[in-house]
Amino acid sequence: MRQLYFDNAATSWPKPPGVLKALGRYLSRGGGNPGRSGHARAIEAGRIVLETRELLAELLGVRDPAHLVFAKNATEAINLALLGTLRPGDHAVTGSMEHNSVARPLTALQDKGVEVTVVQADAAGRLAPEAVAAALRDNTRLVALNHASNVCGTVIDAAAVGRLCRPRGVLFLLDAAQTAGCLPLAVQELGVDFLAFSGHKGLLGPQGTGGLYIRDPAAVRPLAFGGTGSRSDREEQPEFLPDRFESGTLNVHGLAGLGAALRYLRGRGVEDVAAHDRGILSILLEMLKQEPGITAYGPGDGEGQVGVLSVNIAGLSPSEAGRRLEAEAGVLTRIGLHCAPRAHRTLGTFPDGTVRLSWGPFTREAQARAAGRGLLRLARDAGRAAGGPRAAE
Amino acid sequence: MPAVRPAALGLRSSAVGRRHRRVEANIRGLEGVVTFFGSHHALRAEKLLLGAGQRAVLVPGPREISPNCGVALRFDHQLRDQVQGILEEGLVQFEAIHHYPG
Repeated sequence: MRQLYFDNAATSWPKPPGVLKALGRYLSRGGGNPGRSGHARAIEAGRIVLETRELLAELLGVRDPAHLVFAKNATEAINLALLGTLRPGDHAVTGSMEHNSVARPLTALQDKGVEVTVVQADAAGRLAPEAVAAALRDNTRLVALNHASNVCGTVIDAAAVGRLCRPRGVLFLLDAAQTAGCLPLAVQELGVDFLAFSGHKGLLGPQGTGGLYIRDPAAVRPLAFGGTGSRSDREEQPEFLPDRFESGTLNVHGLAGLGAALRYLRGRGVEDVAAHDRGILSILLEMLKQEPGITAYGPGDGEGQVGVLSVNIAGLSPSEAGRRLEAEAGVLTRIGLHCAPRAHRTLGTFPDGTVRLSWGPFTREAQARAAGRGLLRLARDAGRAAGGPRAAE
Repeated sequence: MPAVRPAALGLRSSAVGRRHRRVEANIRGLEGVVTFFGSHHALRAEKLLLGAGQRAVLVPGPREISPNCGVALRFDHQLRDQVQGILEEGLVQFEAIHHYPG
Protein backbone atom coordinates (compact mmCIF):
# COMPACT_ATOMS: atom_id res chain seq x y z
CA MET A 1 0.00 0.00 0.00
CA ARG A 2 1.26 3.49 -0.77
CA GLN A 3 2.21 5.59 2.22
CA LEU A 4 0.81 9.04 2.81
CA TYR A 5 3.26 10.98 4.97
CA PHE A 6 1.31 13.24 7.34
CA ASP A 7 3.96 13.78 10.02
CA ASN A 8 5.69 16.92 8.77
CA ALA A 9 5.39 18.63 12.16
CA ALA A 10 7.77 15.98 13.51
CA THR A 11 10.11 16.22 10.55
CA SER A 12 9.38 17.29 7.00
CA TRP A 13 9.48 14.87 4.12
CA PRO A 14 10.23 14.87 1.27
CA LYS A 15 13.08 17.36 1.23
CA PRO A 16 13.68 19.59 -1.79
CA PRO A 17 15.86 17.76 -4.36
CA GLY A 18 18.91 19.99 -3.78
CA VAL A 19 19.23 18.95 -0.13
CA LEU A 20 20.64 15.49 -0.73
CA LYS A 21 22.96 16.81 -3.44
CA ALA A 22 24.36 19.49 -1.16
CA LEU A 23 24.91 17.02 1.68
CA GLY A 24 26.61 14.56 -0.64
CA ARG A 25 28.75 17.21 -2.31
CA TYR A 26 30.15 18.40 1.02
CA LEU A 27 30.89 14.88 2.25
CA SER A 28 32.23 13.46 -1.01
CA ARG A 29 34.50 16.37 -1.77
CA GLY A 30 36.12 16.30 1.65
CA GLY A 31 34.91 19.61 3.01
CA GLY A 32 37.05 21.08 5.76
CA ASN A 33 36.22 22.50 9.16
CA PRO A 34 35.03 26.11 8.92
CA GLY A 35 37.07 28.69 10.78
CA ARG A 36 39.72 26.20 11.82
CA SER A 37 42.24 26.94 9.14
CA GLY A 38 43.00 29.13 6.16
CA HIS A 39 43.26 26.36 3.58
CA ALA A 40 40.92 26.06 0.64
CA ARG A 41 38.64 23.37 2.07
CA ALA A 42 38.22 25.12 5.42
CA ILE A 43 37.36 28.32 3.57
CA GLU A 44 34.92 26.49 1.31
CA ALA A 45 33.20 24.97 4.35
CA GLY A 46 33.02 28.43 5.89
CA ARG A 47 31.38 29.74 2.73
CA ILE A 48 28.71 27.04 2.97
CA VAL A 49 27.91 28.00 6.57
CA LEU A 50 27.93 31.70 5.71
CA GLU A 51 25.55 31.22 2.81
CA THR A 52 23.10 29.21 4.92
CA ARG A 53 23.26 31.88 7.63
CA GLU A 54 22.65 34.63 5.08
CA LEU A 55 19.72 32.79 3.51
CA LEU A 56 18.17 32.36 6.96
CA ALA A 57 18.71 36.02 7.73
CA GLU A 58 16.87 36.91 4.54
CA LEU A 59 14.02 34.54 5.37
CA LEU A 60 13.61 35.82 8.94
CA GLY A 61 14.20 39.50 8.23
CA VAL A 62 17.44 39.62 10.24
CA ARG A 63 19.70 42.48 9.10
CA ASP A 64 22.99 41.09 10.44
CA PRO A 65 23.36 37.33 9.79
CA ALA A 66 25.86 37.04 12.67
CA HIS A 67 22.87 37.36 15.03
CA LEU A 68 21.69 33.93 13.89
CA VAL A 69 23.54 31.18 15.75
CA PHE A 70 23.29 27.51 14.87
CA ALA A 71 22.35 24.75 17.27
CA LYS A 72 21.53 21.08 16.84
CA ASN A 73 17.78 21.74 17.00
CA ALA A 74 15.14 24.18 18.23
CA THR A 75 15.21 22.59 21.69
CA GLU A 76 18.88 23.41 22.18
CA ALA A 77 18.23 26.94 20.93
CA ILE A 78 15.37 27.38 23.41
CA ASN A 79 17.54 26.06 26.23
CA LEU A 80 20.23 28.58 25.32
CA ALA A 81 17.73 31.44 25.52
CA LEU A 82 16.13 30.27 28.78
CA LEU A 83 19.14 28.98 30.72
CA GLY A 84 21.27 31.86 29.42
CA THR A 85 19.00 34.63 30.65
CA LEU A 86 17.00 33.54 33.70
CA ARG A 87 18.54 33.72 37.16
CA PRO A 88 17.17 32.95 40.63
CA GLY A 89 14.64 35.62 41.59
CA ASP A 90 13.65 36.32 37.96
CA HIS A 91 10.08 35.83 36.83
CA ALA A 92 9.17 34.26 33.48
CA VAL A 93 5.82 34.10 31.70
CA THR A 94 4.84 31.27 29.40
CA GLY A 95 1.69 29.79 27.90
CA SER A 96 -0.46 26.72 28.37
CA MET A 97 0.21 25.44 24.83
CA GLU A 98 3.94 25.00 25.23
CA HIS A 99 5.97 22.11 23.96
CA ASN A 100 8.21 20.41 26.50
CA SER A 101 11.16 22.13 24.84
CA VAL A 102 10.00 25.25 26.70
CA ALA A 103 8.09 23.70 29.61
CA ARG A 104 10.88 21.40 30.81
CA PRO A 105 13.74 23.92 30.97
CA LEU A 106 11.38 26.31 32.76
CA THR A 107 10.44 23.59 35.24
CA ALA A 108 14.14 22.91 35.84
CA LEU A 109 14.70 26.65 36.36
CA GLN A 110 11.86 26.77 38.89
CA ASP A 111 13.91 24.40 41.03
CA LYS A 112 16.68 27.00 40.92
CA GLY A 113 14.48 29.83 42.13
CA VAL A 114 12.99 31.22 38.93
CA GLU A 115 9.27 32.02 39.25
CA VAL A 116 7.08 30.97 36.32
CA THR A 117 3.54 32.06 35.45
CA VAL A 118 1.60 30.00 32.92
CA VAL A 119 -0.98 31.99 30.95
CA GLN A 120 -4.01 29.93 30.03
CA ALA A 121 -5.04 29.63 26.37
CA ASP A 122 -8.62 28.79 25.38
CA ALA A 123 -9.78 25.30 24.36
CA ALA A 124 -8.77 26.00 20.74
CA GLY A 125 -5.26 26.97 21.80
CA ARG A 126 -5.78 30.71 21.29
CA LEU A 127 -3.84 32.96 23.67
CA ALA A 128 -5.02 36.50 24.45
CA PRO A 129 -2.13 39.01 24.45
CA GLU A 130 -3.98 40.88 27.25
CA ALA A 131 -3.64 37.81 29.45
CA VAL A 132 0.12 37.91 28.87
CA ALA A 133 0.14 41.61 29.77
CA ALA A 134 -1.73 40.87 32.99
CA ALA A 135 0.90 38.30 33.98
CA LEU A 136 3.85 40.69 33.71
CA ARG A 137 5.45 41.80 36.98
CA ASP A 138 8.23 44.14 37.99
CA ASN A 139 10.71 41.25 38.04
CA THR A 140 9.55 39.64 34.80
CA ARG A 141 12.67 38.98 32.79
CA LEU A 142 11.31 36.97 29.89
CA VAL A 143 8.18 35.79 28.07
CA ALA A 144 8.50 32.45 26.26
CA LEU A 145 5.74 31.38 23.87
CA ASN A 146 5.03 28.90 21.15
CA HIS A 147 4.33 30.69 17.85
CA ALA A 148 2.13 27.85 16.62
CA SER A 149 1.07 24.81 18.59
CA ASN A 150 2.67 21.56 17.52
CA VAL A 151 -0.49 19.79 18.72
CA CYS A 152 -3.26 21.70 16.94
CA GLY A 153 -1.48 24.31 14.79
CA THR A 154 -3.05 27.36 16.45
CA VAL A 155 -0.97 30.51 15.78
CA ILE A 156 -0.69 33.22 18.43
CA ASP A 157 -0.49 36.96 17.76
CA ALA A 158 3.23 37.14 18.47
CA ALA A 159 3.63 40.74 17.28
CA ALA A 160 1.09 41.87 19.88
CA VAL A 161 3.11 40.14 22.60
CA GLY A 162 6.29 41.70 21.23
CA ARG A 163 4.70 45.14 21.50
CA LEU A 164 3.88 44.43 25.15
CA CYS A 165 7.34 43.23 26.07
CA ARG A 166 9.76 45.65 24.43
CA PRO A 167 8.64 48.89 26.16
CA ARG A 168 8.76 47.12 29.53
CA GLY A 169 12.27 45.80 28.95
CA VAL A 170 11.01 42.21 29.07
CA LEU A 171 12.80 39.73 26.79
CA PHE A 172 10.58 37.84 24.35
CA LEU A 173 11.47 34.31 23.20
CA LEU A 174 9.37 32.95 20.36
CA ASP A 175 9.46 29.21 19.65
CA ALA A 176 9.04 29.19 15.87
CA ALA A 177 9.62 25.44 15.44
CA GLN A 178 6.25 25.08 13.69
CA THR A 179 6.20 28.40 11.81
CA ALA A 180 9.66 29.03 10.34
CA GLY A 181 9.33 28.24 6.65
CA CYS A 182 5.54 27.86 6.99
CA LEU A 183 4.56 31.49 7.62
CA PRO A 184 6.31 34.70 6.56
CA LEU A 185 8.32 35.86 9.60
CA ALA A 186 10.27 39.05 10.29
CA VAL A 187 11.98 39.45 13.65
CA GLN A 188 11.53 43.24 13.68
CA GLU A 189 7.78 43.04 13.13
CA LEU A 190 7.43 40.29 15.71
CA GLY A 191 9.39 42.32 18.26
CA VAL A 192 11.27 39.25 19.45
CA ASP A 193 14.57 39.16 21.34
CA PHE A 194 15.03 35.47 20.58
CA LEU A 195 13.50 33.33 17.86
CA ALA A 196 14.20 29.60 17.99
CA PHE A 197 13.87 27.58 14.79
CA SER A 198 14.20 24.00 13.68
CA GLY A 199 16.07 23.31 10.44
CA HIS A 200 14.33 20.04 9.64
CA LYS A 201 10.64 20.93 9.89
CA GLY A 202 9.21 23.81 7.84
CA LEU A 203 12.68 24.89 6.72
CA LEU A 204 12.95 21.50 4.95
CA GLY A 205 16.58 20.79 5.84
CA PRO A 206 18.20 17.75 7.46
CA GLN A 207 17.88 16.82 11.12
CA GLY A 208 20.57 18.08 13.45
CA THR A 209 20.09 21.66 12.30
CA GLY A 210 18.35 24.52 14.07
CA GLY A 211 19.26 27.72 15.79
CA LEU A 212 18.44 30.94 17.53
CA TYR A 213 18.11 34.56 16.49
CA ILE A 214 19.67 36.67 19.25
CA ARG A 215 18.90 40.37 19.23
CA ASP A 216 21.30 41.37 22.00
CA PRO A 217 24.14 38.92 22.69
CA ALA A 218 24.96 40.72 25.95
CA ALA A 219 21.60 39.55 27.36
CA VAL A 220 22.46 35.86 27.26
CA ARG A 221 25.22 33.59 28.53
CA PRO A 222 26.43 30.76 26.27
CA LEU A 223 25.17 27.24 26.96
CA ALA A 224 28.46 25.68 25.89
CA PHE A 225 31.99 27.04 25.98
CA GLY A 226 34.86 25.80 23.85
CA GLY A 227 36.81 26.04 20.65
CA THR A 228 35.58 28.46 18.02
CA GLY A 229 38.61 28.77 15.74
CA SER A 230 38.83 32.39 16.84
CA ARG A 231 40.79 34.17 19.61
CA SER A 232 42.77 30.98 19.96
CA ASP A 233 45.34 32.78 22.07
CA ARG A 234 42.81 33.19 24.89
CA GLU A 235 41.08 30.85 27.30
CA GLU A 236 38.02 33.07 27.68
CA GLN A 237 35.00 32.60 25.42
CA PRO A 238 34.90 35.18 22.59
CA GLU A 239 32.38 38.00 23.01
CA PHE A 240 31.45 38.46 19.36
CA LEU A 241 28.79 36.79 17.24
CA PRO A 242 28.30 34.15 16.06
CA ASP A 243 31.36 32.53 17.69
CA ARG A 244 30.25 33.31 21.26
CA PHE A 245 27.44 30.74 20.94
CA GLU A 246 28.95 28.26 18.47
CA SER A 247 31.58 26.29 20.35
CA GLY A 248 32.79 23.08 18.76
CA THR A 249 32.56 21.95 15.16
CA LEU A 250 29.31 22.80 13.42
CA ASN A 251 27.10 20.32 11.57
CA VAL A 252 28.47 21.55 8.25
CA HIS A 253 26.99 18.85 6.02
CA GLY A 254 23.62 19.44 7.67
CA LEU A 255 23.95 23.18 7.15
CA ALA A 256 24.90 22.56 3.50
CA GLY A 257 21.62 20.67 3.14
CA LEU A 258 19.71 23.35 5.00
CA GLY A 259 21.17 25.97 2.65
CA ALA A 260 19.83 24.05 -0.34
CA ALA A 261 16.42 23.81 1.33
CA LEU A 262 16.42 27.56 1.98
CA ARG A 263 17.22 28.25 -1.67
CA TYR A 264 14.18 26.16 -2.58
CA LEU A 265 12.00 28.10 -0.12
CA ARG A 266 13.28 31.42 -1.44
CA GLY A 267 12.40 30.37 -4.97
CA ARG A 268 8.96 29.10 -4.05
CA GLY A 269 8.15 31.81 -1.52
CA VAL A 270 6.97 31.22 2.05
CA GLU A 271 3.69 32.99 1.21
CA ASP A 272 3.05 30.32 -1.39
CA VAL A 273 3.80 27.55 1.13
CA ALA A 274 1.45 29.18 3.65
CA ALA A 275 -1.34 29.41 1.08
CA HIS A 276 -0.75 25.79 0.07
CA ASP A 277 -0.89 24.63 3.71
CA ARG A 278 -4.16 26.55 4.25
CA GLY A 279 -5.60 24.89 1.14
CA ILE A 280 -4.86 21.42 2.49
CA LEU A 281 -6.34 22.40 5.87
CA SER A 282 -9.57 23.57 4.19
CA ILE A 283 -9.90 20.28 2.32
CA LEU A 284 -9.48 18.24 5.51
CA LEU A 285 -11.78 20.42 7.64
CA GLU A 286 -14.47 20.37 4.95
CA MET A 287 -14.34 16.58 4.68
CA LEU A 288 -14.15 15.84 8.41
CA LYS A 289 -17.03 18.07 9.45
CA GLN A 290 -19.38 15.67 7.61
CA GLU A 291 -18.71 13.07 10.28
CA PRO A 292 -20.02 13.69 13.82
CA GLY A 293 -17.75 10.93 15.17
CA ILE A 294 -14.67 13.03 14.40
CA THR A 295 -13.58 15.85 16.70
CA ALA A 296 -11.10 18.32 15.20
CA TYR A 297 -9.15 20.55 17.62
CA GLY A 298 -7.98 24.09 17.00
CA PRO A 299 -9.68 27.22 15.65
CA GLY A 300 -11.63 25.13 13.12
CA ASP A 301 -12.16 27.93 10.62
CA GLY A 302 -8.88 27.48 8.77
CA GLU A 303 -7.59 30.84 10.00
CA GLY A 304 -4.71 31.29 12.42
CA GLN A 305 -3.59 27.71 11.97
CA VAL A 306 -0.52 26.19 10.30
CA GLY A 307 -0.43 22.82 8.55
CA VAL A 308 -1.16 20.80 11.68
CA LEU A 309 -4.50 19.23 12.59
CA SER A 310 -5.29 17.08 15.60
CA VAL A 311 -8.38 14.89 15.64
CA ASN A 312 -9.99 12.17 17.68
CA ILE A 313 -12.43 9.50 16.57
CA ALA A 314 -15.29 8.56 18.88
CA GLY A 315 -14.93 5.02 20.18
CA LEU A 316 -11.24 4.70 19.26
CA SER A 317 -8.17 5.62 21.28
CA PRO A 318 -5.69 7.79 19.36
CA SER A 319 -3.19 4.96 19.31
CA GLU A 320 -5.75 2.50 17.89
CA ALA A 321 -6.97 5.09 15.37
CA GLY A 322 -3.42 5.87 14.27
CA ARG A 323 -2.52 2.21 13.96
CA ARG A 324 -5.58 1.48 11.84
CA LEU A 325 -5.10 4.60 9.70
CA GLU A 326 -1.66 3.35 8.78
CA ALA A 327 -2.74 -0.26 8.26
CA GLU A 328 -5.96 0.46 6.36
CA ALA A 329 -5.20 3.70 4.52
CA GLY A 330 -1.41 4.04 4.60
CA VAL A 331 -1.68 7.37 6.43
CA LEU A 332 1.35 8.05 8.66
CA THR A 333 0.41 10.29 11.57
CA ARG A 334 1.63 11.02 15.08
CA ILE A 335 -0.49 9.62 17.86
CA GLY A 336 -0.85 10.21 21.57
CA LEU A 337 0.71 13.10 23.46
CA HIS A 338 2.92 15.25 21.27
CA CYS A 339 5.62 16.22 23.81
CA ALA A 340 3.22 18.84 25.12
CA PRO A 341 1.18 17.57 28.11
CA ARG A 342 0.18 21.09 29.05
CA ALA A 343 -1.26 21.74 25.60
CA HIS A 344 -3.27 18.52 25.77
CA ARG A 345 -4.72 19.59 29.13
CA THR A 346 -5.71 22.90 27.53
CA LEU A 347 -7.42 21.14 24.63
CA GLY A 348 -9.01 18.54 26.91
CA THR A 349 -7.13 15.65 25.28
CA PHE A 350 -4.95 14.60 28.24
CA PRO A 351 -3.89 11.83 28.86
CA ASP A 352 -4.87 9.93 25.72
CA GLY A 353 -3.79 12.60 23.25
CA THR A 354 -4.82 12.93 19.64
CA VAL A 355 -4.16 11.71 16.12
CA ARG A 356 -2.14 14.46 14.53
CA LEU A 357 -1.91 15.05 10.80
CA SER A 358 0.69 17.51 9.57
CA TRP A 359 1.58 18.32 5.99
CA GLY A 360 4.05 20.36 4.03
CA PRO A 361 4.79 22.10 0.75
CA PHE A 362 4.96 18.84 -1.21
CA THR A 363 1.72 17.34 0.10
CA ARG A 364 -0.76 17.08 -2.76
CA GLU A 365 -4.47 17.82 -2.49
CA ALA A 366 -5.25 14.28 -3.68
CA GLN A 367 -3.17 12.93 -0.79
CA ALA A 368 -5.12 15.09 1.65
CA ARG A 369 -8.41 13.77 0.24
CA ALA A 370 -7.15 10.19 0.55
CA ALA A 371 -6.16 10.83 4.17
CA GLY A 372 -9.55 12.44 4.82
CA ARG A 373 -11.34 9.44 3.30
CA GLY A 374 -9.28 7.13 5.51
CA LEU A 375 -10.35 9.05 8.60
CA LEU A 376 -14.02 9.11 7.54
CA ARG A 377 -14.03 5.38 6.85
CA LEU A 378 -12.46 4.66 10.21
CA ALA A 379 -14.94 6.88 12.05
CA ARG A 380 -17.92 5.21 10.33
CA ASP A 381 -16.55 1.76 11.13
CA ALA A 382 -16.06 2.77 14.75
CA GLY A 383 -19.58 4.19 14.85
CA ARG A 384 -21.05 0.95 13.49
CA ALA A 385 -19.00 -1.15 15.90
CA ALA A 386 -20.35 0.91 18.77
CA GLY A 387 -23.91 0.35 17.54
CA GLY A 388 -24.37 4.04 17.05
CA PRO A 389 -26.83 5.80 14.76
CA ARG A 390 -24.97 4.52 11.71
CA ALA A 391 -25.26 0.87 12.72
CA ALA A 392 -28.30 0.30 10.49
CA GLU A 393 -26.71 1.80 7.39
CA MET B 1 61.67 19.23 9.73
CA PRO B 2 61.76 17.19 6.52
CA ALA B 3 59.76 18.68 3.67
CA VAL B 4 56.48 16.89 2.96
CA ARG B 5 56.54 15.54 -0.55
CA PRO B 6 53.48 16.73 -2.50
CA ALA B 7 52.88 13.18 -3.67
CA ALA B 8 52.32 12.18 -0.04
CA LEU B 9 49.38 14.59 0.02
CA GLY B 10 47.94 13.11 -3.14
CA LEU B 11 49.09 16.07 -5.19
CA ARG B 12 51.42 16.05 -8.14
CA SER B 13 54.23 18.56 -7.86
CA SER B 14 53.12 20.29 -11.06
CA ALA B 15 49.62 20.78 -9.54
CA VAL B 16 51.17 22.29 -6.43
CA GLY B 17 53.25 24.58 -8.57
CA ARG B 18 50.24 25.69 -10.60
CA ARG B 19 48.20 26.35 -7.49
CA HIS B 20 51.01 28.29 -5.89
CA ARG B 21 51.44 30.45 -9.00
CA ARG B 22 47.68 31.06 -9.17
CA VAL B 23 47.48 32.20 -5.54
CA GLU B 24 50.51 34.42 -6.01
CA ALA B 25 48.92 35.97 -9.10
CA ASN B 26 45.69 36.54 -7.24
CA ILE B 27 47.29 38.48 -4.43
CA ARG B 28 49.82 40.39 -6.54
CA GLY B 29 49.46 44.08 -5.85
CA LEU B 30 47.08 43.53 -2.95
CA GLU B 31 48.99 45.28 -0.23
CA GLY B 32 46.12 45.71 2.19
CA VAL B 33 45.32 43.08 4.79
CA VAL B 34 42.18 42.99 6.93
CA THR B 35 42.35 40.78 10.00
CA PHE B 36 39.29 39.42 11.77
CA PHE B 37 38.42 37.94 15.13
CA GLY B 38 36.23 35.22 13.60
CA SER B 39 35.99 33.53 10.22
CA HIS B 40 32.29 34.37 9.72
CA HIS B 41 33.29 37.99 9.35
CA ALA B 42 36.26 37.23 7.06
CA LEU B 43 34.08 35.21 4.71
CA ARG B 44 31.34 37.80 4.72
CA ALA B 45 33.88 40.53 4.02
CA GLU B 46 35.14 38.61 0.98
CA LYS B 47 31.61 38.15 -0.32
CA LEU B 48 30.62 41.78 0.17
CA LEU B 49 33.82 43.11 -1.43
CA LEU B 50 33.62 40.79 -4.45
CA GLY B 51 29.96 41.75 -4.79
CA ALA B 52 30.99 45.40 -4.88
CA GLY B 53 33.52 44.72 -7.64
CA GLN B 54 36.60 44.93 -5.40
CA ARG B 55 39.52 42.53 -5.52
CA ALA B 56 39.58 40.44 -2.36
CA VAL B 57 41.43 37.22 -1.60
CA LEU B 58 41.25 35.18 1.59
CA VAL B 59 44.67 34.03 2.74
CA PRO B 60 45.94 32.24 5.83
CA GLY B 61 46.27 35.02 8.39
CA PRO B 62 49.85 36.29 8.74
CA ARG B 63 50.71 35.20 12.28
CA GLU B 64 52.86 38.28 12.90
CA ILE B 65 49.84 40.52 12.37
CA SER B 66 47.13 38.76 14.34
CA PRO B 67 46.65 35.72 16.56
CA ASN B 68 42.99 35.56 15.71
CA CYS B 69 41.02 33.59 13.18
CA GLY B 70 42.89 31.56 10.61
CA VAL B 71 42.07 33.72 7.62
CA ALA B 72 42.82 37.28 6.62
CA LEU B 73 41.70 39.17 3.55
CA ARG B 74 43.99 40.87 1.09
CA PHE B 75 42.71 43.85 -0.84
CA ASP B 76 43.94 46.79 -2.88
CA HIS B 77 45.26 49.15 -0.23
CA GLN B 78 44.84 52.15 -2.50
CA LEU B 79 41.07 51.64 -2.09
CA ARG B 80 41.26 51.35 1.69
CA ASP B 81 38.55 53.92 2.47
CA GLN B 82 36.09 52.34 0.08
CA VAL B 83 36.82 48.88 1.45
CA GLN B 84 36.38 50.02 5.03
CA GLY B 85 33.07 51.66 4.09
CA ILE B 86 31.77 48.45 2.49
CA LEU B 87 32.72 46.39 5.56
CA GLU B 88 31.10 48.82 7.99
CA GLU B 89 27.95 49.08 5.92
CA GLY B 90 27.76 45.25 5.87
CA LEU B 91 28.12 45.06 9.69
CA VAL B 92 31.38 43.12 9.34
CA GLN B 93 33.43 43.11 12.53
CA PHE B 94 37.13 43.27 11.72
CA GLU B 95 40.13 43.50 13.98
CA ALA B 96 42.35 45.87 12.00
CA ILE B 97 43.32 47.02 8.54
CA HIS B 98 47.02 46.85 7.76
CA HIS B 99 49.32 47.99 4.99
CA TYR B 100 51.32 44.83 4.37
CA PRO B 101 53.52 44.99 1.31
CA GLY B 102 55.10 41.62 2.20
